[in-house]
Amino acid sequence: MSDRPAISVDETYLEGIEKKVEDLKMIMEVSVIISSTLDFNELVTVVMEKAKKVMDAEACSILFYNKDTNKLEFEVALCKEESASEILKKTVTLDIGQGIAGWVAENLQPLVITDVKADKRFYQAADKQTGFVTKSIIAVPLVGRSGLIGVAEIINPKNKDFFSEYDSGIFQTLCRGVAIAIENARFHKESIEREKLRQELEIASSIQRSFLPESPTFHKNNITVSAINISAKHVGGDIYDFIEPSEDKVGVFIGDVSGKGISAALYMAKIISDLRYTSLGIDSPDVVMKRLNSNLSNAPRGMFLTATYIIADTVKGSLSIAVAGHPPFFLIGKGEVRVMDLPSGPPLGIMPVEYPVTMLELDKGDRILLLTDGAFDAKNKNGERIGFDSIARFVKSQSNRESLIQAVVDHVNDFSKGTERADDLTLVELRFDGAV
Amino acid sequence: MKLEITDCKGIKMIALSGEVDMYTSPELREEMMNLIRRRTSPLFVDFSGVSYIDSSGIATFVEGLKGIMSYNGKLKLVGIPDRIMEIFNFSKLDRVFEMYGSIDDALNSLNSF
Repeated sequence: MSDRPAISVDETYLEGIEKKVEDLKMIMEVSVIISSTLDFNELVTVVMEKAKKVMDAEACSILFYNKDTNKLEFEVALCKEESASEILKKTVTLDIGQGIAGWVAENLQPLVITDVKADKRFYQAADKQTGFVTKSIIAVPLVGRSGLIGVAEIINPKNKDFFSEYDSGIFQTLCRGVAIAIENARFHKESIEREKLRQELEIASSIQRSFLPESPTFHKNNITVSAINISAKHVGGDIYDFIEPSEDKVGVFIGDVSGKGISAALYMAKIISDLRYTSLGIDSPDVVMKRLNSNLSNAPRGMFLTATYIIADTVKGSLSIAVAGHPPFFLIGKGEVRVMDLPSGPPLGIMPVEYPVTMLELDKGDRILLLTDGAFDAKNKNGERIGFDSIARFVKSQSNRESLIQAVVDHVNDFSKGTERADDLTLVELRFDGAV
Repeated sequence: MKLEITDCKGIKMIALSGEVDMYTSPELREEMMNLIRRRTSPLFVDFSGVSYIDSSGIATFVEGLKGIMSYNGKLKLVGIPDRIMEIFNFSKLDRVFEMYGSIDDALNSLNSF
């Protein structure tokens, strides 16, 4: 015989313990589900099915908070009648503060209601539309790191008349996990979408590059032109092109479309096609600019293009130049570097105007350096902009370099080391080697 | 970017501050195009609090200007800080937009022919 005293255990107490163990097991199972899937739809449905089963409830639902409309919308509604679930999802929305879910969303506090008929907050229209009869309900706010996600509800216990505070505690524990899981799944979805967008930008960038001249250098008679174009992460809309409008002439075009991203890349593609078409057989850059300006006048969303178009006589080295709101260029020769801020019209695509033409005679060895704002708007780690004047000083200090465009690219890259390239960078160098 | 629509002596004015760029200009576009759909004229834009504008921001004003000009309305940009003015000048956009040093200057322009 044992000396230990006999312990009498109440059967109800034992049943209570058993129930708690069961509930704990269920919470652990749900935690496993939550950490094992990032599939948003699967996760929410599976977890709510589980909750409904374990809490032995007739129905359960999740309403998501829509920030744009400031309303709650049914995302999941699980009940016997599938039609009721469909009606809820398609037709019922609640304002913040409206109904029990609306109250919970507004106050960010859980509610246990033993008899909804006696509660003025209850929104009867949902029951009327679905034919479902709500008796007792637990509603819990789903709150994540970024604020309110929605409201979870569990409705009508099957084995008793109403839910207890203990049931509410279990449901709240479950809902904390559900909120984290929903937030994780949303972050996962967003990161997939970000990756998709990144890939689309990469494609846009390669399409954009395919519109540029096949070779970055052009040589005819006494003129040599070379170019460098480097795309930004977000894809800018830089353009350059070499055109042969007539014998012994070369047209050198540089431009920058407003904005960034796929729209700028697509618009750049349209512009370069228009340019090639409108510049054929035309020796006057102002005429080409005027036509291009007219073509671009219906640009979507106010998009515009700054540009410089130079038509060079490849034998004599005489240039005619039209500028449309594009940054000045540099003339390097005779031991000096001049900033050429020529008479200019506004950017293309804004308003009908005449573009002034400037004539310039190059001497043997003279060089022209054209650029886009990606060169002087580049920023360093501290967010400081390099600036046009600094680029001008650099060009002056390097005027003897064989490839000025490469020197400028290296300089900009050095300056902005450790940062993401925010804008396209395009440089075009035109050299006149003198009459043979 | 912060945006506020105010009434300035009976004239609608969009007061902007902060950075107007590819991320913030959609909000500006929505508010401005709403006013333009209602054929608002003149429309003042107060630039005095703007610290930066990129080409997406400028394009939004180009779209606004084209919209306003379609009903012979007036878009007047006021109080443009020097750094922002440099950007407009550099691109010869000072020839595109009507710009005034102060709200009073812009108001006076309405009375002169």
